[in-house]
Amino acid sequence: MDDQAPATTLILALGNPLRADDGAGAAVIKALQGCRLPPDVELLDGGTPGLETVLYFEGRSRVIVVDAADMGLEPGEWRRFTLGDIRLKSNDMALRGTLHYAGLAEAVALAGAMDALPAELVIYGIQPQSLDWQTGLSDVVRTAVGAVARQIVQELGR
Amino acid sequence: MTSMTIDVHHITRVEGHGNIVVNVVNGKLEQCDLAIVETPRFFEAMLKGRPYQEASHITSRICGICATGHATASLRAAENALGVVPTKQTKLLRKLALFGEILDSHILHVYMLVAPDFLGVGSVIPLAKQEPEIVMRALRMKKLSGDLCAIITGRHTHPIAMTVGGFTHYPTKEELFDIRKRFEAARVDLKETVDLFESLELPAFTRETEYIALRKPDEYAFIDGEIASSDGGAWPLEDYLTVTNEYLVPHSSAKHAKNQRDSYMVGALARINVNFDRLHPHAKSVAEQLGLKPVVTNPYAISVAQVVEIVHAVEESIHILDELIGNCLKWEEPVKPERLSGEGVGAAEVPRGTLFHHYTIEDGLIQKANCVIPTGQNLANIEADMRALVPTILDKSEKEITQSLEMLVRAYDPCISCSAHLLNVEFVR
Repeated sequence: MDDQAPATTLILALGNPLRADDGAGAAVIKALQGCRLPPDVELLDGGTPGLETVLYFEGRSRVIVVDAADMGLEPGEWRRFTLGDIRLKSNDMALRGTLHYAGLAEAVALAGAMDALPAELVIYGIQPQSLDWQTGLSDVVRTAVGAVARQIVQELGR
Repeated sequence: MTSMTIDVHHITRVEGHGNIVVNVVNGKLEQCDLAIVETPRFFEAMLKGRPYQEASHITSRICGICATGHATASLRAAENALGVVPTKQTKLLRKLALFGEILDSHILHVYMLVAPDFLGVGSVIPLAKQEPEIVMRALRMKKLSGDLCAIITGRHTHPIAMTVGGFTHYPTKEELFDIRKRFEAARVDLKETVDLFESLELPAFTRETEYIALRKPDEYAFIDGEIASSDGGAWPLEDYLTVTNEYLVPHSSAKHAKNQRDSYMVGALARINVNFDRLHPHAKSVAEQLGLKPVVTNPYAISVAQVVEIVHAVEESIHILDELIGNCLKWEEPVKPERLSGEGVGAAEVPRGTLFHHYTIEDGLIQKANCVIPTGQNLANIEADMRALVPTILDKSEKEITQSLEMLVRAYDPCISCSAHLLNVEFVR
């Protein structure tokens, strides 16, 4: 594996499936595993890698991140956006203070500082209904998972 | 004459919440405290009444960085209480997992938390801008150590496969081969790391103190052994309370500790001071290259000692991987306890120093638990260093003094959230 060049497009799920709808990203990856995708696309359930997310960006021309996101929408609503469209809010004083809880916002800031962002970084955010300590998605988020997976297949086919 | 008050509310780039308070009146140091304001965690109370098998999983949650260290000390305490002797393979796997964690923690500390001070940048973000390759290297090495933990213990943090008497899951041969290959390749990053730290100049400050670490006759001790002091003296683990002598101070929610002097140090530098002769030969030559020759009395050198331990952990990990591959790692059922009641102490050298767990178990349920955490043992020593340091730098600006003090506290890599316990008060009527 080490000697091969990585696939140029990475679909990266972030989130913890033990926290209910935070498993939305992982569910999208699962749905995509059953789809026919272009050969240069890799699927990865990244879990909660924190700053190490930066390593997944290395050598990729395009990264599509799928994650539960609090966008102030109705539960189950989803959006496709790029970094230019939004401002990612850091959850705490990560990078300045403690390094606990570093998430996508911190990883993107770090990658940006290193000039290590992929040429194209797309984020699919799904508004969660519940982030309780349980497995399984809520009905509205499960519906969104199918729609997001279809949209990603379409985007990859373009 | 100088008068000043320094109040660093919430020191950054350490784990947890602590404040530095310094008060100088007419050139005389009146107050110099490291105030620990972290909430107590209640873990020892949580263990009461729980089955012994749960203790390692519960206490691993004390820390997201030293999860394997807590699990290891916890398992050894339960095993000593119940007469369980783990197999050679179990010992090797536990050591390997602990090396993974030591690497992860040391790399995070030296690169993300300490290096920005020495390279004159405020945090890791400007460091990433200025020296992207340094930060990328740190992330690469961190991921490798996390992946090592994951194949041995079932996940990156909070080991799930480690249990009393052994393991409930084993890595595949392919996983062992693959991670060994990656460790071999990491030697390049290792060399770059050593070169980077060779180029950094430590603040000139020394203060003699007592250095304490676990010691074993035939290896640089990480799990078990006896408690050894640089001042002379060695104690069996069961006597840890006569070494730690914990006491309360008003300004800290974490207890302080002292042994033969008013304070002592645990951690990477203490280990090197106590166990230099048992370092892996490569690590020993790196120590010499970096100018560490025991007894090292500059606390800022803790970070350098961590670099030496990074080399030691990588070399030893490769050695253990070879042994596991050569012996054809096999499935072993966990060793069953001989009895279900007893009392035992377990100890491990975790990234920040010596960690003790002590359990009393009756009919399989924990009746009493005590955890003595490295940062708690270091707090009195950090304050003693601060008190010795401040008078020597009073001619500097308040900003420079603050910076020196913050760097000093940071050097100890304090894990403040882990060290705050709650006092258990019983009223006598």
